Amino acid sequence: MNNNKQQRRSSRFSFSRTYMVARRILQQIRRDRRTLGMMLMMPTIIMLIFGFSLSGEVKNIPILVDNQDTGYTAHPAPNVEISITAGSKIAAALQNDSRVKYNTGSFDKNRASVDNGTYFAVIKIPANFSETIFQRQRGQNKTAEIQIYIDATKPAIRASIQGALQSALQSIQGGSAFKFNEELAFGGAQYTGLDVGIPSVIGFVLTFLVLLISLITITRETISGTLQRLYATPLTALERLVGYAVALLLLSMMLAGVILGIGILVFGAAVKGNLAVLIFAAVLYALTHVLIAVFLSNFAKNELQAVQMAPLIALPSLALSGMLVPVNSLPEFVQPIARLVPLYYGNRVFEGIMLKGYGLLELAPEFLVIGVIAFLSLILALATVKDRINA
Amino acid sequence: MSQAAEWAVEALDLVKVYKEGNILAVDRLNLKIGRGEIYALIGANGSGKTTCINILTGILAPTTGVVKVLGMEMPRDRKTISKYVGVAPQEYSVYHDLTVEQNVRFFGRLYGMSNNELERRMEELLQILRLDERRRSVVANLSGGMRRRVSIACALIHNPQLVFFDEATVGIDPVLRAFFWEYFRSLKKQGLTIILTSHVMDEAEKADRIGLIRAGKLIEEGTPKQLKHKHGADTIEEVFIKLSEGKIVDE
Repeated sequence: MNNNKQQRRSSRFSFSRTYMVARRILQQIRRDRRTLGMMLMMPTIIMLIFGFSLSGEVKNIPILVDNQDTGYTAHPAPNVEISITAGSKIAAALQNDSRVKYNTGSFDKNRASVDNGTYFAVIKIPANFSETIFQRQRGQNKTAEIQIYIDATKPAIRASIQGALQSALQSIQGGSAFKFNEELAFGGAQYTGLDVGIPSVIGFVLTFLVLLISLITITRETISGTLQRLYATPLTALERLVGYAVALLLLSMMLAGVILGIGILVFGAAVKGNLAVLIFAAVLYALTHVLIAVFLSNFAKNELQAVQMAPLIALPSLALSGMLVPVNSLPEFVQPIARLVPLYYGNRVFEGIMLKGYGLLELAPEFLVIGVIAFLSLILALATVKDRINA
Repeated sequence: MSQAAEWAVEALDLVKVYKEGNILAVDRLNLKIGRGEIYALIGANGSGKTTCINILTGILAPTTGVVKVLGMEMPRDRKTISKYVGVAPQEYSVYHDLTVEQNVRFFGRLYGMSNNELERRMEELLQILRLDERRRSVVANLSGGMRRRVSIACALIHNPQLVFFDEATVGIDPVLRAFFWEYFRSLKKQGLTIILTSHVMDEAEKADRIGLIRAGKLIEEGTPKQLKHKHGADTIEEVFIKLSEGKIVDE
């Protein structure tokens, strides 16, 4: 009878038992300072970076304007002078538009600057622009034409440039009298949203998964107690790190294969450039992140910390890489940081190959930076690697 | 390597202070262990045994003191020394997701063994350690005693001259323990020096010499017979209790 009662009592929901479970978990977390630190740091960093990067609309897009308009002065009657300087007005309006970053130069000479990514568009206002406007106002069937050579691989940027131009045209009379002669760079590249999105997704997924898998794999050695055992064998730290890197590189190549395969075969993402260059880029990029992970693994004491490190790197990279917002549109103090993010170069490489048809030559600077990051990670990994217990 | 070295292990005034918590783990410890000896380092949990082993195997640097292993200087020559030394750490410390063979091969190759040599030696060890039937089993599926034997196989695969067994015989059944000791004796006959640690006192009875360690200090040393005689005790456990003056030693 009594027993029965006790049994019933112990099977009833106990607040004190529940409380102890909750309390124990908090006690454990309190001991794990690094996890606690990351729990505070990670949301702070991610919120700040995303907040800053998403706060503004697309702005500061570098464009080049070649204003050849000479202006037009007419004397329709004695002592009446009409002076039109439409080109300068448009130029001035663009200069004051925060969406674009205004530069001047020759249209014909700078078309190549769109091809190589320096400017997103070059714009030419022809010499007879004001004159044409005048003639149209006089009832002549003429249209003032503005020539644009534009990079259409980023729809949001293209829309902003077009928007800025439209607003600039409002500043002169007769808004309907104009025609944009828009020529798309990269052989008239017209891409779907998917085409445009896939390259950055490839970069991001590679960043995140390669870091995650590498960190977990390496940290496992520490936990299993085998690391100490390895310290006592002839195996050197360099051999161990290179061994990790080789195995993880092979795994990452598999990963890259799956990512590229799905992107291209399942979603039919455009690959304008050479597939071999794309594969080379994916492997180099994966290797870089393997080496970054090898370095970072020196600071992770357990698998949990390793698992936290991957998003801690990958998420800010996402915000800073130009994937969500062009780097030029980020607040100025954030921009230099963005240029340190491997994914920034990764995106440029993947977009360059897939959308713009760039090859090794055009992407040499990006490849070089990625290579330097890989090399530095290896050096840092070797400088911080432990070859015995550090106590 | 100098074959002429008289001692397998020589430690002079070893001191180890752990940076974290500023803990004195080894306190002016002196140790000389001859070649072909079975030496048991006995002490309570936390007395500094493992710290000591870690220093002697070169994976932990002493704060001060000199260590010579097989006539070479530790930690300076530790990678050279490691070729002649085997270590079976306190935890099983083998790869749980690999098979017995895969583990043994991995360590064998780290010691630079040739394939033929490695396969021959592995065959021999797996037979002796009664692991041959489970050679293709994943370690995670083995019993505790078997894992311990896998760990020992990994420590012996390269025919070391000196081997450290940290708590190798603790927590295993009496039959297996008796087997281990028999095996240790046969290894000794082949000229191997064995250094083992234990917090189980009667283990030590079977060693050639015993070092009693407490609070990082070597408080007594000698053959089991000598120690029992000196302290008028019947067992090593009694010796230990007498030396501890009845205090609970749980450093």
